[in-house]
Amino acid sequence: MENFSNSIVTPENLPDIKPETFNLLDIKYRAILFIRIAIFMLFVTGAFILFLILFDEKPAVGFIISAISAILIIVVFTIVITIFGFPKKGYLVREKDISFQKGLIVFKSTSVPFNRIQHVEVNQGILAKIFNLSSVKIYTAGGNASDLSIPGLPVKVAQNLKVFLSEKISKYE
Amino acid sequence: MNNMDLSKPRRQSVKGLVLIFIQGARQSIRIFWPLILLVVLQNKILDNRLILGLILVVIFLLLIIHTILFYLNFYFYVSNGEFILKTGYLRKKILTIPLARIQSVNTKQNLIQQLLNVVSLEIDTAGTAGKELKIHALEKAFATELHNKLRSVNFENVELENSEMIDAKKSSEKLILKLSPFDLLKIGISQNHFRTGLIILAFGFQIFQKLQDVFADKADEYSNELANYISGSNVALIIFLIIFFLVVSILFSLFRTVFKYFDFKLLKQENAYRIEAGLITKRNVVLPYNKIQELNWETGPLKKMFGIYHLIFKQAVSTQNKKVQLVDAPGCLTEHLQLLKADLFGDEVLDDTSKIYSNSYYFWRLWIIVGWIPVTLPSLFLYTEWQFWGSEILWLLVSAGYNYLTLKKRYFRINKDQIRISKGAISHKLTQMELYKIQSVEFRQTIFQKRGSLASLTLMNASGSMTIPYIDETIAKQIYNYCLYHTEISEKSWM
Repeated sequence: MENFSNSIVTPENLPDIKPETFNLLDIKYRAILFIRIAIFMLFVTGAFILFLILFDEKPAVGFIISAISAILIIVVFTIVITIFGFPKKGYLVREKDISFQKGLIVFKSTSVPFNRIQHVEVNQGILAKIFNLSSVKIYTAGGNASDLSIPGLPVKVAQNLKVFLSEKISKYE
Repeated sequence: MNNMDLSKPRRQSVKGLVLIFIQGARQSIRIFWPLILLVVLQNKILDNRLILGLILVVIFLLLIIHTILFYLNFYFYVSNGEFILKTGYLRKKILTIPLARIQSVNTKQNLIQQLLNVVSLEIDTAGTAGKELKIHALEKAFATELHNKLRSVNFENVELENSEMIDAKKSSEKLILKLSPFDLLKIGISQNHFRTGLIILAFGFQIFQKLQDVFADKADEYSNELANYISGSNVALIIFLIIFFLVVSILFSLFRTVFKYFDFKLLKQENAYRIEAGLITKRNVVLPYNKIQELNWETGPLKKMFGIYHLIFKQAVSTQNKKVQLVDAPGCLTEHLQLLKADLFGDEVLDDTSKIYSNSYYFWRLWIIVGWIPVTLPSLFLYTEWQFWGSEILWLLVSAGYNYLTLKKRYFRINKDQIRISKGAISHKLTQMELYKIQSVEFRQTIFQKRGSLASLTLMNASGSMTIPYIDETIAKQIYNYCLYHTEISEKSWM
């Protein structure tokens, strides 16, 4: 009977998840996000230029200007969102569950109890490899929607997290 | 009774040869049909009867050889707590399923199998991809025994502590729900004809236009009288067609219902439900209680008149396959529903809890997306047409009405163990689940929702997810915390 407690459970005194307590992702991950935006924009601009070259008739100047400004607006918008949205991204490991939150315009917070985790995976993309980062993916039985993915973790942290979670899961088997 | 020795590899019934042959023939036709078409169309090759005959004989012989080799190399047995199936002669394949992992064992019988008096056995697993087993031909008695054996082994593994349970399982089944042909008639009529009708109507409208064209041409050729007659009777024709399609769609639904659910029986066993149904293909599905993730029931205006609910049991998804295991009863009466709910969820305590509705913001958001956005976009181009404005207003009114109904049906009830979510607009869908079946929870809040202190909550279980949109932020957070707490202290297995 060690540490036995049996207090009344009311919704008010349940442990609350506060967004402030979340661990931020590694700041290097923001660089990856920027590089991804840059690559995407290169593709779009490349396609646009190719379109201009291959198009027989010369399109109206107004069209070119509006297209360029549209691309510019999208670039600025995504960059701003990435900068201000980055501090919103974070993960939190508690005694019995793990959570991930993100989102500036649409805020989302997802939690998975340890006793519902099926298995854990550590992944590393090409960009992440350069920056020495990894992501941890947590699978549940609920399929895609309920799986949790935590990107932008230093390789060491990701490994430790995986080991920690695997240990927790094995307790529930 | 259990005198069969599963540890020895054994083949399926000899009658399986016929089934393998038919399947092989079907496959080769599916692969070679363009070639066959070509041969048939090009008369030159067809003229040479000898070559054609030779080709046919060779194909036939190859199929026979394939059948025999396939049959001889198809084994199944149980070893070390695993069900093993060996198959293939050119490329050998071995499938193994740990008995404890078996999700369900189902038997099926199509027309040919009924004639041969054999059944096919399917074994589903949870979590492992591409590991669904199928044995095509088993003698009926043997299949039943194997069925029981596999399931009892399964339960032995799952519930080691409780050995009495296995004995108790053998006790007789209790019939809960049986649908007579008359019930099926009612169910068939109360299906959603609007949907079927629309599909058939769209299809029919094309034919109608074609017909009109043809008649118009003919009329020019033969007599103007006929043309006048047909164009004059357009209204009558349309009314006739509408009635015709309505009748067709009702008949269609009726036939579908009767074929699929003929002689429907829902039986209760010690640990599971068993469903039996079908006219041509007989389904036999066993649903262990602990694998059921949620219960859905649905009713519509027509169904309500007859007092019918459509029942759906949702089972765990196999992770990689993303296939939701659905088992449904097309119709049951209120008393059946009450019985099943009491059976699955215990005493009906949820009815005493209060309904918590989604906020009216939800209505506005829906109306903006469904009503206002589609209305404002084309108005840039069409603002000069008066018919346009008329249909705009009509659309806004219709969508407002529909979304109002959606809001009125969007509520949930929760107590310490269970949640029931209601949704729908014209029809009414209800979902109930035990909170410990939750796999993960999601809290979602847009910046617009934040201003009104609202949020949406999504609860995910192994068969899918359910969303509670636009509820009070603090309630959403409390439920979020409570669901986590409840799942984390729960000792029960979600499956």
